Amino acid sequence: MNGTKEKAKLNYFFVKLLIIITHVILLATVGLNGVYDNVSEVYMLSAVVLASDIFWYIVIGSFKQDTYTLDYLLVLIINVSLIFQSCFGGVHFNLKHFITLTAGMIAYHAGYLFTRNSFRAEKMRPYCYAGLGLLAIIILLFTGDRSMWIDFGSFTVQPSEFMKPLIVLVCASSLQSQQTKKQIGIFNVSPNNIAMILVSACVLILQWWCRDLGSIPTFAAVTGCAVINRIFYPKAKLSKKKIGALATGVLVLVLIAIKLAPSYVKDRLYVDIWADQYGNGYQQCRALIGMAEGGWLGKGPGAGKLCNVFAYDTDIVFSSVAEEWGLLGAVLFVVLILLMLATTLINTPKCYYHGTVAVGVTAVFIVQMSLNIFGSCNLIPFTGVTLPFLSNGGTSMVTSGFLIGMLKASQCPVFIRNIVEIKPSETAERRRESR
Amino acid sequence: MRSIKRNLNLITAMLSLFLIGMVILVYKIYSESSFYILNSDSAVLGKIYDRNGEVLFDQNASPETYGYDYFTDVANLIGNDSGQMTNTLVSENIELLNNYSFSYGQREEDGKSAIYTTLNHNANREVYDSFGNKNGTAIAYNYKTGEILICVSRPGLNPFGGYENLEDGSLLCKAFYKFTPGSTQKISTLIAAREQMGEVLLNSKNFSCSGAYLNKSQQTIYCHQNSGHGEQDINAAFANSCNPFFAQLVEDMDFNMDTAIESYKKMGYSVNDSVPMKLEINNISVQTASTILNDKYEFSTQWGFIGQGETMVSPCMLMMWQSAIANGTGKATLPYLIHHTTDVTGSEDIHAAVKYTSELFKPETAEYVKQIMLNNGQRYSGSIYGYTVAVKSGTAQVKNGDEENSFLTGFNADESNPIAFCVLIEDRKPGEVTTEEIAGTILSSLS
Repeated sequence: MNGTKEKAKLNYFFVKLLIIITHVILLATVGLNGVYDNVSEVYMLSAVVLASDIFWYIVIGSFKQDTYTLDYLLVLIINVSLIFQSCFGGVHFNLKHFITLTAGMIAYHAGYLFTRNSFRAEKMRPYCYAGLGLLAIIILLFTGDRSMWIDFGSFTVQPSEFMKPLIVLVCASSLQSQQTKKQIGIFNVSPNNIAMILVSACVLILQWWCRDLGSIPTFAAVTGCAVINRIFYPKAKLSKKKIGALATGVLVLVLIAIKLAPSYVKDRLYVDIWADQYGNGYQQCRALIGMAEGGWLGKGPGAGKLCNVFAYDTDIVFSSVAEEWGLLGAVLFVVLILLMLATTLINTPKCYYHGTVAVGVTAVFIVQMSLNIFGSCNLIPFTGVTLPFLSNGGTSMVTSGFLIGMLKASQCPVFIRNIVEIKPSETAERRRESR
Repeated sequence: MRSIKRNLNLITAMLSLFLIGMVILVYKIYSESSFYILNSDSAVLGKIYDRNGEVLFDQNASPETYGYDYFTDVANLIGNDSGQMTNTLVSENIELLNNYSFSYGQREEDGKSAIYTTLNHNANREVYDSFGNKNGTAIAYNYKTGEILICVSRPGLNPFGGYENLEDGSLLCKAFYKFTPGSTQKISTLIAAREQMGEVLLNSKNFSCSGAYLNKSQQTIYCHQNSGHGEQDINAAFANSCNPFFAQLVEDMDFNMDTAIESYKKMGYSVNDSVPMKLEINNISVQTASTILNDKYEFSTQWGFIGQGETMVSPCMLMMWQSAIANGTGKATLPYLIHHTTDVTGSEDIHAAVKYTSELFKPETAEYVKQIMLNNGQRYSGSIYGYTVAVKSGTAQVKNGDEENSFLTGFNADESNPIAFCVLIEDRKPGEVTTEEIAGTILSSLS
């Protein structure tokens, strides 16, 4: 056992070394091949990245956990993201992105702490309902006319982003709560399931109302996964009828959504971007041209031109990275995020509640990455959502961090020891009963 | 554990779907990247050369480098990247010129993407100049290999002169568009008649021409010779280009309309709105031939067989039929403009190969028509001096008879210089340059 722990420590040493080497290689590329006016920007970026690596190693090392895989993957990702974001259109240290990444790391730990005890997390569900209600009120009262943003002077906040982890928590469920049924009138139903569906429906309607249509697929995917979990619960038969009914339901909902979609959304569904290069297809055409110019290995850090296109660091950030670092660089970054999600398959959740949390988090990330990457590259309609951990934006970064924290909670066995919380008074009562 | 396994299956399914999407994305970007670059402002195009290495297209061309009129004879065939011209060699093959590949990126200085054409620029220029101030078109190719050697269309286009106040038709290569063919149509009618009647029966047909023929629908078909040609067989009538003879041939009981229509369709015609032969020369779309043929006793049908009315044929198609006759196979050699191309690194990419159409008519018919055309060609030994040519001329009335287009199509029977050609002079007036003179220039410039 001791030998295994020592081996694990040794492996993490090499993991840490590998992360630093990766960052050094990227920084060396910036220094040798980058476009910059002042070399001090490169030194600044290098110093911050390497110091940040070491800082997070120390912080992570101070937590006692059985596995640190996600933590170190995240350190690798955030500093690669900082390097990428600091190079768009010329190398300059991107302080704002550094701050949001730090906020994301803090949110990551908060997400972990909030969710690591499944028993306690599930008991917090009423607060999640309340949180969603509060966010809905904020959206209705403080965002602009049918808008999704609240302006605070020089920066803006998108409250609906914070709904993502909450909806994952609302949709997550233990087997017991999803199977506990009550007689309501003539129906024998599970209150938990009914509440989940009603709340999700309200959130989707709210998103529709405030025209945050890009987020709807994400919420719908989380809800859809929760419905699948409930329909195909372990003892239920995986029948073709159920699958058919579910697929038909999804198709009908999609068709209704397309029918009711505003005209500008329909335009995006059918637009021939090359025929409308300077209209609706402008961003996608520029993004694709940028990627083509980048080729496999890119034009070099800071040499990209996509920085002149609106939302180059958010909605079309995948293309911006591909332009400067090559399609290989951009794909490798996405692979890192996928690896992060795939860790669940190795460090499997130890309880059903955490399993549903992992499904919800994966759904959010997969749908959001698909919308961003495939949308900006014209494989699917362009919606303008962020790419987790790469796009510029505090709200998105904090939300993504919190969600990955929830994923870590589903993998980390620390909470198992605390799963049954017994108050001292209950202990005395149990003792009496046992006598 | 079973419950958690189902969760993991769901996660695996989502990750797998996304990975499949990423693979599709990478493939899409890789395969379409050249198209993206061509739609950007930064596309760097390679050059187009003629068969002797002369430049026919240069993205950075200037009058100082090449001379003001350097490209005028080929501009409406070769085109450019301005987006003003379609159906040209550049517009339809621009990806071949793109000095870019996803792996090598964009090569501004040392890119080697190029198209090497079969054209002979010197000969082309000579033929272009031989039109004088007349408009029209001339196309010539090697009927053994399919290499297009000359392709001019007037009015020409000077790419250095801009696109304002251009003369009608200057953006088109007229060789690829349909015109009323006049008496050159009699070649097709001769082929259709020979296909169904055979040599002996067709040769036995004799009809009289008195300058005009009142057909069975009581409509008059006029001959270009007012005094008429008298009694003639098919050889004499073809040489005389006698309209009354061909009207009577169509009315003859041995001339079956259904069989004739089938022969026309086999040759590539769209008859009564049927689907015509689809023809593309290196992605440049080429119109072929069309006509309306109904009652053989009707004036309009007879007029269609003679080459007027609704009948339309492109000069390129007329030239291709000549190759089927000259080769004696009944199969036309497919023309091409691109001999080979090189990619951004200079590696040879596409190399042309000799290809033929399916059989348009029987080899015996080809030999028969060849002999008649050679006989006819002897009449041109003075004007196309020094060549054994097989030809057929034609005059087509256009714009309600206000103008006459002059046609000449044929081939050089000398197989050491196997050239098939078609010449069209629009609105030709007596005393102006003749199609024979231009045909002579074609052959001499390519000798």
